[in-house]
This record gives sequence, C-alpha cells and structure tokens, in this order.
Amino acid sequence: MSTPRTLPQHIRARAQQTPDRIAMREKDFGLWEEVTWAEYWDRSVLVGHALLALGVEVGDRVAIHSENRREWLYSDIGITAIRAATVGLYPTNPAPEVLHVLRDSGSCVLIAEDQEQVDKYLEIADELPDLRTVVYIDPRGIRGRYDHPALMFWDDFIALGEQHRAEHPDAVTERLEAATPEDLATLVYTSGTTGPPKGAMLTMANIEFVIGVLASGEAFVEPPAGDHDLIVSYLPLCHVAERLFTTWFNAAVGTQVNFAESIETVQQALREVQPTLLFGVPRIWEKIAAGVHIRMSGATWFKRKVYDFWMKRAAWIGRTLVENEGNHTIATRIVYAVGWLVLYRPLRERLGLAKVRYAASGAAPIAPEVLEFFMGIGVPMHEVYGMTENSAIATANRAGRVKVGTVGEPQIGAEVRIDEKTGEILTRHAGTFAGYWGRPEATAETIDEDGWLHTGDVGEWVDGTHVKITDRIKDIIITAGGKNISPSEIENSLKASPYIKEAIVIGDRRKYLTALIGIEMDTVGNWAQQRKIPFTTYRDLSEKPEVVELVQSIVDETNRKFASVETIKRFRLLPKELDHEEGELTATQKIKRSAIATVFADLIESMYSDEKSQVSA
Amino acid sequence: MTTLLRSAPSTKARTSTGVRGRPLLRTSYEQDLALANTPAKRRSMIGLIVASFVVPFLLTDDLLQVLTLGMISAVGAIGLNLVTGYAGQVSLGHAFFIGLGAYTGAVLGGDPDGSIVGYGLPIWVWLPAAGVVAAVAGLIVGPVAVRLRGLYLAIVTLGLVFLGDHVFREARSITGGPGVGRRGAQLEIFGIDFHAMEPIEGISRNQAQFLLALVFLIVFAILGRNIARSGVGRAFGAIRDRDVAAAVIGVDLTKYKIMAFAMSSFFAGVTGALYYAVIGVFEPGAFSLLLSIQYIAMVLIGGVATISGSIMGAMFIALLPRISQFIAAYIPGELLTVFQLEAILYGALIIVFLIFEPRGLYGIWLRIRNYWKGWPFSY
Repeated sequence: MSTPRTLPQHIRARAQQTPDRIAMREKDFGLWEEVTWAEYWDRSVLVGHALLALGVEVGDRVAIHSENRREWLYSDIGITAIRAATVGLYPTNPAPEVLHVLRDSGSCVLIAEDQEQVDKYLEIADELPDLRTVVYIDPRGIRGRYDHPALMFWDDFIALGEQHRAEHPDAVTERLEAATPEDLATLVYTSGTTGPPKGAMLTMANIEFVIGVLASGEAFVEPPAGDHDLIVSYLPLCHVAERLFTTWFNAAVGTQVNFAESIETVQQALREVQPTLLFGVPRIWEKIAAGVHIRMSGATWFKRKVYDFWMKRAAWIGRTLVENEGNHTIATRIVYAVGWLVLYRPLRERLGLAKVRYAASGAAPIAPEVLEFFMGIGVPMHEVYGMTENSAIATANRAGRVKVGTVGEPQIGAEVRIDEKTGEILTRHAGTFAGYWGRPEATAETIDEDGWLHTGDVGEWVDGTHVKITDRIKDIIITAGGKNISPSEIENSLKASPYIKEAIVIGDRRKYLTALIGIEMDTVGNWAQQRKIPFTTYRDLSEKPEVVELVQSIVDETNRKFASVETIKRFRLLPKELDHEEGELTATQKIKRSAIATVFADLIESMYSDEKSQVSA
Repeated sequence: MTTLLRSAPSTKARTSTGVRGRPLLRTSYEQDLALANTPAKRRSMIGLIVASFVVPFLLTDDLLQVLTLGMISAVGAIGLNLVTGYAGQVSLGHAFFIGLGAYTGAVLGGDPDGSIVGYGLPIWVWLPAAGVVAAVAGLIVGPVAVRLRGLYLAIVTLGLVFLGDHVFREARSITGGPGVGRRGAQLEIFGIDFHAMEPIEGISRNQAQFLLALVFLIVFAILGRNIARSGVGRAFGAIRDRDVAAAVIGVDLTKYKIMAFAMSSFFAGVTGALYYAVIGVFEPGAFSLLLSIQYIAMVLIGGVATISGSIMGAMFIALLPRISQFIAAYIPGELLTVFQLEAILYGALIIVFLIFEPRGLYGIWLRIRNYWKGWPFSY
C-alpha cells in the first residue's frame, strides 16, 4: 500500500498497521465503549458506501449536525473517503443559521443527531430542495412519529452501506485511490462576528499539511504526542480547532479520542478519562477556574484555609513560571512538591487535569491571570494561535519557551510576517485555505498575490521570536481624541475575575471608554447568597446595588493597570445573559459587536448622555 | 439491526492502552462491581489483612481471646446483616439459628467418648453441616417472612427464640440441659489440635485460635460481600426499599426472601458451631433473646447493610465487657456491678446510634472518608 496522502487514507493505514489498538471511546450507559482502528475504518467505509448508494458524487457536500460522538468521525472519514466534502454545523445553531449554511453549501445529505436537529431541518425543509436525505443517529422521538420522506435512521443507513458494499465491494476504494490533493475536504463555516458565516474551503492538501506538521513531532506538544495520549473531545467538531485536536491529531499520531455522554457531562468525563492533552477555549478555562472558586467558597473552614495558603504559593509559582518562560526554578520545584501533596494533586484530580501534560488555549484571547492560575497548580498551559483560513496552523507557545501574553512562535513549516504598515499578521504555508465557498471577492481580500493570508489580527513581535496579538483590526477603538485602543486586552482583564462573564468595551469615536458588563450568574449568585442578599432572576441580581458595587471594585482594579485614556469611566450591567439564539453571540460564544450596539443602544447612550447634557448646558 | 453500533464491543482481545492509573475509566460493568473497585481500596484491604496476621504476636493472650470470639461473631453479624440490613427483614430469631448450628456442630464433631452424644467427625463435616442444618431451618421460616412485614415479622421470629430455648433446655440427651451444658466440637485441622496448649511449635493456643478465626472471617466476609454485590444482593436491596416496587420490576419476592433467611441462617449456623467449639463448654441458656439482641446491636452499631460495618460492630460488642470493666473502675462504691453497667451500655449505645448515627460505625468511617475523598472541596 502506498503512503497515505489523504485523511481517510491515514485512517486506513492505521487500521491496517494497528487494527486492535484503541482509536476512540464513547461513554454510553456508564461504560466507556472502545472502538479500535479496524472498527473505525470499517464503520467509515460503510458510511462511504451508504453515501454512494444515495448517489453522492465527487465534490458534493454532506452536512453533519451533531454533538461530538463516534458517528461524527465515521461520517467525516466516510464522506472524505468518497471525495465528497464535510460541512459541520454547530449543535446550537438555530434554524435560520442552519438554513443559511445548508443552502450556502448546497449540501445534498444531512446527518442530524437527534430530534432537536431534525426539528430544525423540518422547519426549513421547504427551502432546501437540494437536500435529498436526512440521516438521524438517535431515533428517540423520531422513529414511528415522523414520516417525512427524506428521513432515514442511522442503522438503516449503515445497512444500506453494507448492501452496497456487497454489490460493489471496491466502490469506496476506487474513489479513495483517485483522490487528489485539490479535492475539497471540508467547508468550515466561520463564526461570523461581522456578517453571515462564510464557508472556508479546506482541501485534502491543507489537511495533509496539518497532519504532516502534527506528525513531525515538533508541533504543539513536547515530548511529541503519540498513541498513549488521551484527549477528551467536547468542543464543537465543526470548529477547526477541535477538528485539529480530535480528528487530525488522531489520524496523525494516533491519540485516543474520548467522547462524553453529552455536553453536560464533560466535567465528569474529564475526571474519568484524565486526559493527557487538553485544548480549551478561554471561556472553558475561565469557567473551570470560576468553578473552583465557587466550590471552595462552600468548603469547610479548614479546607478553605489550606486552599488559600497553597493558592498564594501557586500564584507565586505561576508568576515565577511566567517570568521564566514556563521553566521551574529550584525554589518553585520544592514549593510545588509540597503543595502537590497537600493541594495541587487532589485539586487537579478533581478537575480532571491530573495527567494533563499539555494544555492549550486558543480561538480567542485569554487573560494572563487565568493562564497563571493553571500554571500555578501545575497544568502546563500554552496559548496557541491559528484560524480556519490557515487550517489552525500559525503560532504556538512551546514547552519551556512560554511567553505569557503572546501566542507563541511560528509553527514548523509556517511563515509568519507582520505587515509593516497596518501591523496585520500574515501567514503563508501549504495549509492556507483554497478560498471562501462561492465568494471569490472575499477570497481575494484575504489571500494576496504572493499567497499571504491576511488574518485580520493586529500584532507585534516580542523578542523577535514570539507573536503578540493586539486585537482584531475591525475591533480597534479609535477614541474621539484619536487614540488607538485595543478593547480585548481590557475586556480580558475584566473577565479574569470569576464574577464577570462578559465585558464589552465601547468608545469608538467617543470621548471616553465605557463598558457593558455581564455578570457570571453562578459565582455572583453564590456571592449574594453568602451575604444574604435575596434575588430572583439574572436581571434582578444585576440590579442589586451591592452587585454593582462589586463590579465597580473589579473595574477600579482593572483601571489601575491601564493608562488613563484606557480606563473605563462608566459601565452598565447587562440586564440579560447574552445568547446565541438571539443573535448576540456567535455559535462559538463570540460577541457580535454590531448586534450588541443595536440591542443595547439605550444602555450605551445612557453612559454618555450626562456628558451631552453638560455640553449642551 | 440496532446492534450494529450500539452493541458492546466484540469479544476478541483488544489492546487497550494508556488507561492505567485511571480507575474511573470503566470499560466494563465487571470493573464497576469488582470486590475492590479502586486501587486505594485494594491497597488498604491488603494492608489491613497483612496487619491482622501480625496482631496475635503483639497482644496479650486474654485480649486475643476476646478478639477471636469477636471475629467469629462477626460472621454471624454478617449473616444477620444480610437478612435484616440488606433485605430489610427484621429478624429477632438469630439466636435460634446460632443455637441450631452450635448443637449440630457439637453433636457431629463432639468427643465420641464423652458423656453426651458425639460422633467425632472432622471439621470438614461438622462446620458445613452446622450451616446447612441452620439454613434448612431458615428455609422453613422463610415463607413466613413472605407474608409478614416489619414488626409482625419481628414478633414471629421472636417466637422462634422461645421455641428454641424450650427445646434446647428439654433435649438433655443432646444439650446436657440447663446448668450442666456440654462440650463443643473438637477443633482439629490438618492434625493440629487447637485446644492444645501449643498447637504449633512457638505459637500459643490463643494465637493459633486467633489465626483460625481470622481465616474463617476472611472467607465468610468475602462470601458475604460477593452475595451483596451480585444480582442477589441487588434484589435484596430492592425488597428492602419497597417490596411492592421490587415485585413490579421482576424480583421474585418469595424466592429472595426465603434465600435471605437461608443464607443468613447458614452464616449463623457456622458461627454457632465454631464459636462454642472455641469456648469449650456451653449450656442451653446461652441462646436466649439476649443473644439475638446482641447481634442486632452489632448490626446497628456497626452499620446496616455493610459487611465491614458488621465486622466493626461485632468487634465493638465483643470488646464491650472490657470497656465496661474499664469504666466501672471509675464508678464509685457499689452503685453498679460490671454486668449492670454492660447492660446499660448496650441499651444506651443502641439508642444513641439509632438517633445520632443511623449508619453506625461504618457511617462514621464514611464521613471521615468522604472528608478526604472530596479534598480540597466539600461537595
């Protein structure tokens, strides 16, 4: 057999070389069911056959609308094996966004997880004439109730594949061998903070480049990841970062992927699996840290004292590590060793971080305080950077060379440059995407003639080796005084507090900066309960004068860290939690600034209104 | 068809890698049900057993005898816990089953040349036989439990004790009658006579008996634990929580209630035979209501529906005379005798545990364990 050239060929190669090793596990009825490489490949081939039986042609798009589970990977590999392209949908996508993605991509088959996702499809079915078949994985509530002609149960779908395989045993292999590097492998829809999501086209060659980087042993993890590493797959697989950590890592070096029973049980799954590699977005890391905070505030006196004492040491260890690029000194080693016995080991074990040898944060900026917290308790945190358009390969902090506040050094095989004039970060490598699906003009804006990808992020070099990102170009605030301010730095500093979930700094073309702040219901609720402050809803809690005071103290503390033009003069608490369904957040929980500006226009104006009256007076 | 993807993995051997040191990552239900399902439990269990084998070489002989009898009673307590704790069938008749076992053992294993009937059979015969005879009696009583619940069952089993008490007193050819009594079975295993002063070179009688009782306890504790963690144990639990609900989910009430009594009586029977073999001479008055109450106390103080609790409770009750002697030394004058004090302590302890620590000594242990298990959190 020739050396594998495409993603599905990598899976086949592993299935031939190590058929009985574990490729993935999924928790079902309390047990971790194991799937070997041979079974993984076999299922994927059956999906391929089934799709062939449904008439899927080369270059067709097949959508997957599901939480992370084994069938996601079987489908992804099956789809690419027959040279079709995978389109991932966020499980949280509301029906109008589902419609946009399915119509924009022109998908002909949809693999939907359960009744929830099937219902979304049925709502919009009339507007999707190209979509021929909808395969549902979980039959609960669907079988025997819905009689839409397009619906098909997963088991029947697989049976169709078996039948097709019996009739045309080589059909999938033929397609697999005929694959070219230019084949479209997947459409990854961007989160769309500024407009409707665009489908970024990643080709087989792009993914092959990523797999090559991962397999080189010099990407992300040090010492290199291998088939003894476990990961828990829990972030949406349609996002390029989770696809890299789940599917591509798994194909490149054979890491074992573990799926939780559902998104609600991820914490429990982490405890059971104790992964060695863990990727999270800043929100996840903030939430874990906030969770520790809440649970400790409910602990007994003695436990709290021990915790406080050792967390002070941890803060010191974290700071020292930050100063030493992630390396221990003799003093921190000794302190850590004692603290490990008393607090850090059990704490990490409860959080599911006991065996983590590499933790990464990416996809959005994170506050250095959060990184420090985890480094202090002994979790080696690394901030990494990448985006859909460069197949998630750009820069990464490497073990022993961590510079907190930067996103690290360029990855092997990747060229990174900062535009002298605009300060924009540019990347160039074989993983640069082929363009936006059906939007040549948008593609031309993003990739220039020399093949440089314009990331849309403004950054600078630190010590000539590491890249520090200032902000998104579009988000940079220019105040009425003409000063350029990066809001995300201030926002992250605010969000480092366990009490603050959302912070939106406002001030473009205004005299001073203001902020809209959303409290974290869990922690602030806990805080209020301990002070015997009665409250009912999120809004009620936000309006309590004590809570406003609490937030004021956090804002004051943040203001001390910044220059006076960058201080927040006023703030308002959001009366509701921001929500994806209502269009305030993207599927990846990123804030849509334009939507916020319209929805909360009154609130924003109220922060500037006195001044106007003063001016007019 | 649904088996395609939902089915359990095929039986062919697979090489699971990288999951060592992750006790919570369970890939089969067997791991969930294992005797010691966490490495910590496994380690501490082995440590405890090893330590127990060292004990006889560290303590004085008189204390050793107390512990020996405590360990043998523990098996009886496990038996009572099976029927009362796990299956929830209150039984006051435990003394009767213990008595049956004691006399079966004594008759079959007794000295053939003695004044009272004895066949001199080896321990391999009389010990199981004692259990079986008691179990058969349990089988006969069991059906009563199917029809009765709670207090009524307690009264009926109480009747058993009086019935037994009368029969044991009157059957003089077997029991020797009240005030006289008879000798228990001979204790000889592999040619080692455990009644001799020094059964094995360098090991005293009390040390040897302690080790014998320890092995006996380990075997029956594991047996009890296996019953509790298997399907039978879960059926018992279902009946205890609500017998009607148990019947609805398919637990055969008649079968399992009878089984509970039979198993419990088997444990009681072997305990009776061995206990009085070690004691030597015993008389029919020993199997009165007081003995039943002692066993109830073991279960309640140790912890309902736990094997380790039964052992803790039995050891505690066995040591109670020692404790009351110790306390009596501080009580001035002739106010109370040691025996009165002991009786008061029984009553007081049962009341205190039922009110303040319904899960018994095991509950206290559980609380301590959970404090550290949750470290550094409290919940």
